Amino acid sequence: MFTLDNVDYKNIVRYSDVQISEGGVVFVCGKSGSGKSTLLRLLNGTISPTSGVVTYKGRDVNAILDDDTAAYRREVLLVRQSPYLFADKTIVQNFGAFHAYLDRPYPNESTVNDCLSLCCADDLSMTNECGVLSGGERQRVFLAVNLSLGAKVLLLDEPTSALDTQTAVQVMTNIKAHCRDNGMTLIVVSHDSAITEIFADRVVTL
Amino acid sequence: MNDIIALNIGQFALVYLLLIVVLLIMKNRQIAQTKLLIVASCRMTVQLVLAGLILTFIFENPHPAFTLAYLALMTAFAVYMVLHRNKNINKRFKVITALSLSLSGISVVCFFITAIVGVSLFNAQYTIPISGMVIGNAMTGMSLGLRAFNDNITANRNQIDTLLDMGVTPRKALTPFVNASIETALLPTLNSMLGMGIISLPGMMTGQILSGTMPTTAILYQIAIIIAICTVTCLSVFLCLYLGAGTLYNKRGQLL
Repeated sequence: MFTLDNVDYKNIVRYSDVQISEGGVVFVCGKSGSGKSTLLRLLNGTISPTSGVVTYKGRDVNAILDDDTAAYRREVLLVRQSPYLFADKTIVQNFGAFHAYLDRPYPNESTVNDCLSLCCADDLSMTNECGVLSGGERQRVFLAVNLSLGAKVLLLDEPTSALDTQTAVQVMTNIKAHCRDNGMTLIVVSHDSAITEIFADRVVTL
Repeated sequence: MNDIIALNIGQFALVYLLLIVVLLIMKNRQIAQTKLLIVASCRMTVQLVLAGLILTFIFENPHPAFTLAYLALMTAFAVYMVLHRNKNINKRFKVITALSLSLSGISVVCFFITAIVGVSLFNAQYTIPISGMVIGNAMTGMSLGLRAFNDNITANRNQIDTLLDMGVTPRKALTPFVNASIETALLPTLNSMLGMGIISLPGMMTGQILSGTMPTTAILYQIAIIIAICTVTCLSVFLCLYLGAGTLYNKRGQLL
C-alpha cells in the first residue's frame, strides 16, 4: 500500500526501504528521534520528502496531492499525538464543528455515540465544554472524532499516551476491531511495547 | 467666527513643559520608556516642522508633480512602517501587504477627493492632508491586523495543523483567524466612531474649527473622513490578510 524508497527528509531522517501492505494493524517502532512521527506525516502528505519517493497504491504521493490534497488526506487520516478539540464547544458540537470544516453534515447521534463508545468515552457528559476535559478524556474524544470521519487509512501517533493501561488496551481492542470490520488499515506509532506486542499484526522498525 | 490665533514660538515652546510631567511619572514608576518618549517627541517635532515647510512650499508653488510625489512618499513610508513592525512575514506576503495598503489607500483617496470634495486630485490643499489621514489610519490598521494574525496563528497552531491533517484546506483553516484579525484592526476605528462628538471632538474637525470653519461644515468633513478611514482600514487589512494567508502554504497544503 505504501512504499518509501530512499526517502530523505531535510537530512534529518532517512528511510531506505519501507513497505507497508494494506489491511491489519502495523506498528511503527524505533528509538526517539528515529523518525516515526515524520513517517506518518510523509504518509499523510503534510510534508513531502526532500528526496526519494513515497507511494500510495503505486502512485507518487506528491502527484496525488497535486491532484486533490483534501481528498487524499481524508482517505489517509493522520491523528496527531497532541489532541485538539474546540475548548468552547461540547463533545457533540466538536463532532459537528470538524464535520462542518469538511463540508459534511452533522453526524447523527448514533454515529457519535458509536465512535465515543469505541474510544471508551461514552461515559463523559455530552453537555460539558471540552475545555474542562482532562488530558486522557481529550485524547479519547479526539480519537472518536477522527474515527467518525470515515478514513480508509488511520495513522495514529501515540494514540494512548495519556491513558492508563487498562483503558489503553480496551481502546486499542475496539479500534482494531472497528478497522477490521470496515476494511481499514491502521498504522500506529507507539512507545508502549506491551501495546505493540498485543495489537501489532506487523511491526516496522526504524 | 474669530480669526485664528497664531502661536508664537515662545508660547509654543511652553507645551513641552507638559512632557516633563510624563517623564516624572515614568521616572517615579520606573517605566522604561523615557528614551522612547524623548526620541518620539523629537522625531515628531522634526517631521512635522519639515512637513510644514514642504507643504508651505507646495501650496505656494502648486504643481501636480509635487502633490503626486508627496502622496507617493507618504504611501511608501506607510508601507515601510507596516513591514518594519511585521518583519517575520515571507517575501510574497510583504509584496501583498505593500500592494494592499497602496491600492486601497490611493483608491479611497481618489474617490474622496474627486467624488466627495469634488476637486482635482492634484489639489494639494485637499489631497495631501486627506491622504495623510486615510493612509496613516490604514497603516495603523494593517499593523494591528498583521500583528493579531501572526499572534493568532502562532497561538492556534495545533488547531490549524489538526484541520490540515484532516483534509481541510489551508484557506478554510485560516479563515477564522483572518476574520478575527480584521475585527482587531477595525476595533479602534469603530470604538472612536461610537464616542465621537460626545467623548471627543476629532482632530480634523477641531483643526477646521480653530482655523475659522463653521462647525456645521467641519462636521460634514469629519463624518466623511471617518467613513473613509473605516473603509480603507477594512479594505486594506482584508486584502492583505486574505491574499497573504495564501502565501503561508503551498498548493499541497504544506507549511512553507
